[in-house]
Amino acid sequence: MSIALEAVGLTKTYGAVRALDDFSIAIPAGGVFGILGPNGAGKSTLFRIALGLVRPTSGSARLFGAAPGDITALRKVGAMIETPRYPPYLTARDTLKMLALESGKADADIGGWLERVSLTHAADRATSGFSVGMKQRLGLAAAFLTKPELVILDEPTSGMDPAGIQEIRALIIDLAKIEGVTVILASHQLDEVKRVCDRVAILSRGKVVAEGGVAELTAGEARLRLTLTSPLAPALAVLGDRGEADGPDAVLADIPRAEAPALIRALVEAGVEIVEARWREVDLEGVYLKSLGQTPTAATAEGAA
Amino acid sequence: MLADAIAAERFRLLRDRAAVFWGFCFAPLVGFALSIGGDLFLRFVIKKPIPGLTIGLIDQVLKALSNGASTFGALFLMIGAAAILAGDYRWETWRLLTPRNTRQNLLLAKLIVVGEAVFWSLLLTAILSVFAGVIGAGINGKALTVSMAGRNLFDVIGVLAITWLEAMTLAALAACVGVLSRSTMGVVIACLGFRFVQTILASSLQMMEQNEAPSWKLLALPVFDADLLRAALLAPDQVGAAGGSAGVALVVLLAWVAALTAGAVWLFRRQDLTKE
Repeated sequence: MSIALEAVGLTKTYGAVRALDDFSIAIPAGGVFGILGPNGAGKSTLFRIALGLVRPTSGSARLFGAAPGDITALRKVGAMIETPRYPPYLTARDTLKMLALESGKADADIGGWLERVSLTHAADRATSGFSVGMKQRLGLAAAFLTKPELVILDEPTSGMDPAGIQEIRALIIDLAKIEGVTVILASHQLDEVKRVCDRVAILSRGKVVAEGGVAELTAGEARLRLTLTSPLAPALAVLGDRGEADGPDAVLADIPRAEAPALIRALVEAGVEIVEARWREVDLEGVYLKSLGQTPTAATAEGAA
Repeated sequence: MLADAIAAERFRLLRDRAAVFWGFCFAPLVGFALSIGGDLFLRFVIKKPIPGLTIGLIDQVLKALSNGASTFGALFLMIGAAAILAGDYRWETWRLLTPRNTRQNLLLAKLIVVGEAVFWSLLLTAILSVFAGVIGAGINGKALTVSMAGRNLFDVIGVLAITWLEAMTLAALAACVGVLSRSTMGVVIACLGFRFVQTILASSLQMMEQNEAPSWKLLALPVFDADLLRAALLAPDQVGAAGGSAGVALVVLLAWVAALTAGAVWLFRRQDLTKE
């Protein structure tokens, strides 16, 4: 499998601030790869280095095996970095025309892309009058315009209305799944990442703190919550170091799903009165918060056992 | 590819009407308006037309072109150059362009498009000076001739090329300053300041070096080099001891453009575009 974006020992400092800290990652070509992280985690810096906007302090990044800024790699890449900005005197159509010319693809389907991002009605309006959502849409059209093999999107749906977000998510999934475009997507919207991405890396303070498939990251994280009418002590004694109290009348058990029936039998035999057993699922947000060293409880979703 | 970057930059400039008008059309139009205004003033206010005066059209063109990169002309050319060379810092649009072409191509394309625009601006200056001559002759009843001093089209091409090269030293400086300052205003102020200081220095040094071959200090000034080249082309017998330095002056002008362009590209290739 070829590697679309690879970073090895990447460090970038801005004065005293370390945006990336000995950061390494290898993002394979194909599918949608999500990059999650709080503000300042280093997501945009990673993209800026990969696209040749910023030089690393140390380490290296490669796009399809080529150094950032290399014309052969750039011709395979489309990007939307942070909130897109445009020369204010250009219309949406002219902006795409200029970018198509810049990429050596004068015959790019500008009208088709304006239609796909629902901007046909504003095609001949100056971008200076565009809302944030319209600028995002135009940025997406610009990123996909030249039929790149890899598209890097930084917060692609920020500033969009819910319908627009749905539309753009569908577009990204279509492009990745049907047209085979590799998409690397940074987002604060965990729900978006969960719906769109196949694999995820979570960044914190310039480092990768978790990486894997979305299902893989959330698997094994579920905990069994047992609500009791009897005292907690006997239940905790049975659970040992696999359990803890969760309020005055419940315990949480860290066990695989397959062991649930045996555990419940053992608890009943020990005189514990169970009135409810539910699996507390930890979703991507829980994994994300846990990776950042924050409490995931508020972010959990419960499901029946 | 460089050709792609040039095509994109040219397309973009043609849609930036403010930059095209103020940068590359305004100064020629002002020159034209002042010329016509002068003739109208002579005809309707002073009411004393000079009888028997003849206007040489090529002489008019040469005069207008020689002043094409004067401090006044340079001010507006640099406004246009700043919009092209530093506009992406102002609009924070490098993030759109840098992932599409190499840094070197992007900056060189901008400089080449500035060069094209300067050429068209000088050509407009030449054409409008012809119109001004014809209209002025009509207003004041002056006679028209091709040239009073036996000049020809090759002189026009030569002066246009020299003035273009002189303007390009400022454009190359604008590229350097644009990268360093990330500011359109910075470009205009620095280039105008450079042009103004050169004029003062050249005048002072010329006064000190009368009737001598120009020193290296004088030859290092693009303003002097351009004046020397124009004089050597149009009136070689009046240049005196400086005539022998015309070749050096041409080399110095080219060296300024090459060195400043290389410097701008070198700086831009190493520049972090953290918010642009």
